[in-house]
Amino acid sequence: MQELPLEGIRVLDFCQMWAGPHATEWLSVMGAEVIKVETSLRIDYMRTVGAPPGLAGTGPNVGSAFASLNWGKKSISLNMTKPKAQALAKKLIKICDVVSENFGGGVLERWGLSYEEMKRIKPDIIYYAGSGYGRSGPHKERPAYAEIVDAFTGATFSNGYPGGEPNVIGVSPWTDGAQAIHGAVSILTALYHRMNTGEGQYIDAAMIEGNANFLGEMVMGYIINGNIGERIGNRDAIMAPHGCYPCKMTGDEDEWIALAVANQKEWESLCRLMGNPDWTKQEEFNDELKRWDNQEALDKYLTGWTRQYGAYELTAILQKAGIAATPSLSTKQFTHDKHIKTRGFFKKPNHPVLGNKVLAGLPIKFSDYAEGNYHTPPLLGEHNEYVFGELLGLSKEEIRQLTEEKVLE
Amino acid sequence: MNRQALSDVKVLEFSDFISGPYCGKLLSNMGAQVIKVEKPGLGDKARSWGPFPQNLPHPEKSGLFLFLNTNKSGITLNLETAAGLKIFKELLQWADVLIEDHSVKEMAELGLSYAEVKKIKPSLVMTSITPFGQTGPFKNYKGNDLISAHAGTEGFGNPDEGVKDPATLPPLKVPNHAADFMAGLTATACTLGALLGHKKTGRGQHIDLSKQEAVASITRQQLAYYSVMEETPSREFGRKKFGGFLYPCKDGYVVIWIGPHYHLVVKMMGEPDWSKEEMFANPLLRNNYIVELNQLITVWTMEHTTEEINALARTHGVPCSLVRSVKDLVSDEQLAFRDFWREIDHPVAGKIKYPGAPFKLSVTPAAIERPAPLLGEHNEMVFCNILNYSREQLVRMRQGGII
Repeated sequence: MQELPLEGIRVLDFCQMWAGPHATEWLSVMGAEVIKVETSLRIDYMRTVGAPPGLAGTGPNVGSAFASLNWGKKSISLNMTKPKAQALAKKLIKICDVVSENFGGGVLERWGLSYEEMKRIKPDIIYYAGSGYGRSGPHKERPAYAEIVDAFTGATFSNGYPGGEPNVIGVSPWTDGAQAIHGAVSILTALYHRMNTGEGQYIDAAMIEGNANFLGEMVMGYIINGNIGERIGNRDAIMAPHGCYPCKMTGDEDEWIALAVANQKEWESLCRLMGNPDWTKQEEFNDELKRWDNQEALDKYLTGWTRQYGAYELTAILQKAGIAATPSLSTKQFTHDKHIKTRGFFKKPNHPVLGNKVLAGLPIKFSDYAEGNYHTPPLLGEHNEYVFGELLGLSKEEIRQLTEEKVLE
Repeated sequence: MNRQALSDVKVLEFSDFISGPYCGKLLSNMGAQVIKVEKPGLGDKARSWGPFPQNLPHPEKSGLFLFLNTNKSGITLNLETAAGLKIFKELLQWADVLIEDHSVKEMAELGLSYAEVKKIKPSLVMTSITPFGQTGPFKNYKGNDLISAHAGTEGFGNPDEGVKDPATLPPLKVPNHAADFMAGLTATACTLGALLGHKKTGRGQHIDLSKQEAVASITRQQLAYYSVMEETPSREFGRKKFGGFLYPCKDGYVVIWIGPHYHLVVKMMGEPDWSKEEMFANPLLRNNYIVELNQLITVWTMEHTTEEINALARTHGVPCSLVRSVKDLVSDEQLAFRDFWREIDHPVAGKIKYPGAPFKLSVTPAAIERPAPLLGEHNEMVFCNILNYSREQLVRMRQGGII
């Protein structure tokens, strides 16, 4: 079966950096035609990030970060500061279903593309505006990044080792990821409503509000009990052992295992696997509550055992005994993981600069649709001819002229 | 009645704790009718989790449960009884969407694999959330939030800046069940994609959501680095580049983003002499000397309070925030201005403030109005009104441990 759920949906995408492009990447991989509006005068910063060795700073098509955030999109180079470019954008809005942007403040308005104007051009348009703090309120103009928002919401405060200092959350786009997928959810919801009623709408998505939902457990803890939480690292509120332990190196990287023992039965299984050493019989480990109270000592003993095995080997042993475990994977180990390979998580971009170095696909697996639109992430301005020629019906000569006038740049 | 985007969507939620319930919550925010199936007795694990007022455990007062299950209807059903299973299958006929988080093996044993479910209701969208997905060598592996975080390379990536002693400090889970939330959110996006397709074609769909992949997807930038640069990745302190670093101050911490804002940051600090050094002349050089650069910035931040730096950053347009606690979030002026919080009255837990919707839709705003269901609160409504069982049968179901 070849088709995809969002075929026939077209998006004019002004998003840059991480959260915005990843939101529309979800739409693109699900089959929407996403046209990314860019210009070589101010390229998406991600086009420069993560270049292959020796290629940093050699142009707008070297960024592997960009490629992994823009699967299957089309790119036009439109210098929106020119009136002719703004007129072309309006023509494009007329044939689009969604307009998306994540600029700081009212950039589109300055280009004559307020939501009111868009509605005049295309009454059922869906307009997605993503931002750090939202498009209203005293902080609406403040610049935001994932790390800034995490600090603002309390996520950074609660991130760290027990008894240690707060830490910037890694990987740093964590909150961008939440914003991106909340964004995709909001647009898909609006598309659903439009299918039912023919109505479009305006979406104001603020990272701090998505983040406050992800932190719901801690937020409720404060509201209910005035508790601001503490840094507990890999620990759990009830389970012990519950953590990440060193293993034997079997390759060229450190190996760690994460494991969680949920109850007495699993603890007894673990003891059997370890050969019931004397330390497990100490009174301070003989029930769930005592193990939790004495987990620091418990972890030290356990480490002596985990070090004897490779992480995959020990994971198999524990899982077979019904105990949740996994190797704690580095990006390298994950890329070579046999389970992930079987699942087809990575895709080949067939990219003129990046070649077929694999990039992460999206975690979307439908039983009755094609696997997704994983066409090569676009080079800057690659689709000018298709978009302005085929979609808007301009002649080759007109497109050449627009290029000469630096409307397309 | 509020116009709600998903008010014609019926969802059966057969899942526990966070991931599946967050998916159901997002759909119910948008107007979907969600029936949550809990096991008789203790119900959802989140009911036992808390936080509880005054630290007194009570199944109807768990903050996590109350938050994750607003707007839903709740029933109890024991699928290990033949009658319970039969009723569940009747509910599948009612539903457009099934959200479930049981292992591949458990669902097969219940006779509820997708192949079986499809026979009962061909047009159903079935969203299955499991630690490692429905296929592959690890498909039956058990997991939880910790396991998903570490299997998806998030543990390796945290803390972002790396650690000074990677041999003793292990890879670190992100706090607050973030992986569970991410899996639930990701499942929601997939479910809505399938629903849009369903609307057009009436076609059913099985969604195979792997929590490991939902987490790894967020690390895509780091995965691309490894793939393209072919350098063995490191957990050593100093690995982080560009910007978004934590700086200690007189009275706490701030996070500042340097990156393309270097000149603004320098101006904010009063243009110290070192800022004109050759080693900081361009972004590539600054990345090479990022540890040295941050040490110099730290000298300055240590001489100031967090509030002083925050005020200066606002004046200079530098991306910056204090490292605040959740207390500051709950009383934050921006969220108050945007009318983010929702107050809901719950028959047992009382009036409590809840986080509002994660995004604002102008025409079909989220409605977070009804409190989470009491355990089995909607048994009569569902079994008698929707499925047409009699009250007498309802009593027998209760006596037989079916509901």
